[in-house]
Amino acid sequence: MSRGNLFLSLLLWLILAIFVIYPLSFLVIESFKIAGTNDVGIQNYIDFFKDTYYLKTFGNTLLLALLVLLTSTAFGLPLAYILARYRLKGKTVLTALILLPIVLPAYAGAFAFMVFFGKQGTLNLLLLELGLVSKPVNFIFGLHGLVFIQALHLLPFIVLSLSAGFTNIDPSLEEAAEVEGAGGFKRFITVTLPLCTPNYLAGAVIVFLWPFTDWLTPMIFGQIDYLPSISYINIAYHFTDMYRKYMGIVSVVVSSVICIGMFLISKRWVESKKYTSLSKGTTLEGRIIEPGPIKRFWSYVYMFLIAVLVLLIPTVLGLSAFSRRWVLTPIPTYWTLDNFRLIFLESPGLLKNSFVFSGVSLLWGVAFGLPAAYLITRTRVRGKEALDFVITLMLAFPGIAVGVSYLLAFWEGIPLATHWIIMPLSLFVRRLPYFLRMAHASYLQLDVSLEEASEISGAGKLKTFMNISLPLLLKGVFVGIVMFFIMAFQEISTAIFLYRGGWETLPIGIFLNWHRGMEFGIAAAMAFFMIVIIFILLLIVSRIGGGIIGAAWGSSGGRY
Amino acid sequence: MRRIVILLSGFLLLLPLLVVQVEAAEKVGWVGPIYKELSDSLMKGFKDYYKKTYNKDIEITFVRPGGWPVCVDKVRAWRGRPDADVFLGAGAPAFEVLEKGGFIVPYKPKDWDKIPAKWGGMKVKDERLMWTCFSPWIVTNLYNEKVLKSLRLPPPKTWKDLLNPIYRDLIVQTLPYASGTQHEAIEIHLQTFGEKEGWAYNRLLAAQLARFSTGSTDTTQLVARGEVPIGVAQPQMNAMSARADGYPVKDLLPDKTILVPEAVGLLKNAPNEANGKIFLDWLFSMEGQKYVLEGRYFPARTDVKFSVWGKEGVAMAKHAQDALGVDSFWDLKVGFINYDLELATKRWDEVNRYYEAEIYRKLRELKSSLFLIEEVEGEVEVAKKKGVDVSKAEAKIKEARRLFEFDGAYATARLTASEARALLVAASR
Repeated sequence: MSRGNLFLSLLLWLILAIFVIYPLSFLVIESFKIAGTNDVGIQNYIDFFKDTYYLKTFGNTLLLALLVLLTSTAFGLPLAYILARYRLKGKTVLTALILLPIVLPAYAGAFAFMVFFGKQGTLNLLLLELGLVSKPVNFIFGLHGLVFIQALHLLPFIVLSLSAGFTNIDPSLEEAAEVEGAGGFKRFITVTLPLCTPNYLAGAVIVFLWPFTDWLTPMIFGQIDYLPSISYINIAYHFTDMYRKYMGIVSVVVSSVICIGMFLISKRWVESKKYTSLSKGTTLEGRIIEPGPIKRFWSYVYMFLIAVLVLLIPTVLGLSAFSRRWVLTPIPTYWTLDNFRLIFLESPGLLKNSFVFSGVSLLWGVAFGLPAAYLITRTRVRGKEALDFVITLMLAFPGIAVGVSYLLAFWEGIPLATHWIIMPLSLFVRRLPYFLRMAHASYLQLDVSLEEASEISGAGKLKTFMNISLPLLLKGVFVGIVMFFIMAFQEISTAIFLYRGGWETLPIGIFLNWHRGMEFGIAAAMAFFMIVIIFILLLIVSRIGGGIIGAAWGSSGGRY
Repeated sequence: MRRIVILLSGFLLLLPLLVVQVEAAEKVGWVGPIYKELSDSLMKGFKDYYKKTYNKDIEITFVRPGGWPVCVDKVRAWRGRPDADVFLGAGAPAFEVLEKGGFIVPYKPKDWDKIPAKWGGMKVKDERLMWTCFSPWIVTNLYNEKVLKSLRLPPPKTWKDLLNPIYRDLIVQTLPYASGTQHEAIEIHLQTFGEKEGWAYNRLLAAQLARFSTGSTDTTQLVARGEVPIGVAQPQMNAMSARADGYPVKDLLPDKTILVPEAVGLLKNAPNEANGKIFLDWLFSMEGQKYVLEGRYFPARTDVKFSVWGKEGVAMAKHAQDALGVDSFWDLKVGFINYDLELATKRWDEVNRYYEAEIYRKLRELKSSLFLIEEVEGEVEVAKKKGVDVSKAEAKIKEARRLFEFDGAYATARLTASEARALLVAASR
């Protein structure tokens, strides 16, 4: 073990100690407090496990997570394959389109769906008018609606990670399978899919854990019997009832522990199936197939259908943005630019904050995530499992837990919460796993012998990293960067607890305007504005980035 | 590898130092649950006033982390080092908690005398000056005119009307701990009907609900969108605001209700206390109160006449007059109950917990029990008309209903209803 690695490890641990362990320990301590006394004890936990209601909410959450994962995988798998393998025109735009749902705060998308699929929404009103139904159909209120919305929201994670996996597979492996007679579907099941497992799991873990931390989407659909929602309600609305608050914190802690357990199982599984290949780097694009006319046709149909669903969100938001009092009619009847006039008065500040906070947190995320992934996959530094464990812990922590614990920890003592730096800091901590997971998966696919060969040939560690590892890792790293930035940009549940006047981000602006009363137009205009910005950003990035990004997103290189 | 790390971490550490915060000369901060229309209106009005009076700009920050319980928690999290000067909005219970925690200090705004001390038995301002109401409103219900009309249903007028089977699945409310207004509505039921009867009422009302909403703003939106046509427990000005925007929404002043004195208080250790006080003085001035109305809240001064303000060009004055039907808020005739604030504050958490445990969490059980009772009651009526001797079954089903309504023993009530049905079958043979 080199001294450099040890030093690096200590540095990372120091950062984690201050920004993760220290504040979160406040939360754990809080969960042991007994309401109305100065005592501490495990009474809250006993109450929690005795209470059938909490068990029921846990069961609901588990079911939701499973269904969301299954649905998003079923829809994401063909999509990822099409995007990664087929040479198709307009793939860049479609890819960017399909990425859209995650850049939106979940609730903006959820609200758009309510406007369209609600009982008095566009679809129902049209169906009623055409006489196809006699009573409004319940499209979204209930488990099925939640699964539908969350699966669509999380689809990009599955598509991104799977298409990175498809691209990363050495073409010669599949060609070998085909030569041996395993064509088409059989090859796909026996060779291609297993080779993608590490990448898939990196995305799947995020998808699976999401319902354990998203409190707002179920709440918008009037369902609070899910673990994160009930924690949020208990913590945010406890008022004078300290017992309620402690129970909320207990459920946060319990769900975190469960999530981490699940994560560990999936990690064990990935590591037991280390598929790595030596010939990495022969091609950045992976294997590209020229599809026949039939495949091409169905690919377009499929991509188009998904794109329509995804585009529904900006369309509905756009219609709301240019109108007012759009209710009980299929499309708005009163058009106005007033919403935009209002938001251009307040948005420049929000926009600046969003970019500065996400940007700063992204820099930190990369500065922290790359060395961390390196240590975890490549070295035998003591405590690297624990390092991975602590970082991934954040994935399972609801934003509200981070927000509350940061406020507890950084108000007195270390008064960071009085400086705006707390905003990117909390984003950095909260979104850290997103980058680490991708970098980690890429490292796993990169065979260590390539690096070893470089070092044996006399190149130092730094030179090896710059000349060998980094170029080979770029795909995964880039996907990680994109994901990190997107996730930081749309973060709200931590920010809402930490922001002070003047630090509002765009999502907070949407939230505040959503609470404005009845008029959704202003919030919709902001959300619409945000989509436009992100979409332009995605397009610009994919053009500048050229082949690398194309490959990272499963697009064919050099075609744009 | 090491060098990269050192470079990166150096960068990481230095970044915060690169940014120098520009301090504005004059500042004032608000925290509270008021809607954005009001905060926008007050910001505009107060900035103009400050510029006019002191010839200086003032920077206003406003934090609204959520409904008022969340705002109170925010102040508590600041632990005596508040990040704002003024707690803006929320009724008396919030200020009771703030006072108990030692988070607010007394202050007497200039036009304090223009605010009534009491109205309909409710305190409108605190005699110890901890809080003063700047905008009164009444706990109302809300309905969507257009949807109810299309369903050919009359709007429900009283609390009891809401229990009419014609409104089943057409009502939405939130949980009492998610909304202060909802909590107060339940407290109204408990204090109006009596504790047992109040809970019985809430059990029956819960069976009428289409769904629970997640907060009172959510209720407003669901009703305005027509997703659910009737919303329980709404601030009175929501209907006015929605109508001004063109939504087919109206408020229902229930037969029994209370006043909520939306109030303001000065935070202890306020960083810009002097400006906080200037703001409070302005808020109760005639000019400040106009901005309150333009922000779609009712003004609290007794000397306000909407008709006069309308002529002076206050745009919302006409809407306020339409919504209230009188020329000043204080001219309203309302069926107020004799509200025991002390009792309400004392049992606040208890009421919330009981509702959650006995009604919300057992909703499925509650409904199946009630629906069976209703079925058997219907069968008893039919048997009676046929001339069957139903006396035993009738007594039994009454017992079932009593068990359901007053004891909340849903399973036992269900069993008793089944027994009543068996008795009925036996009697019919």
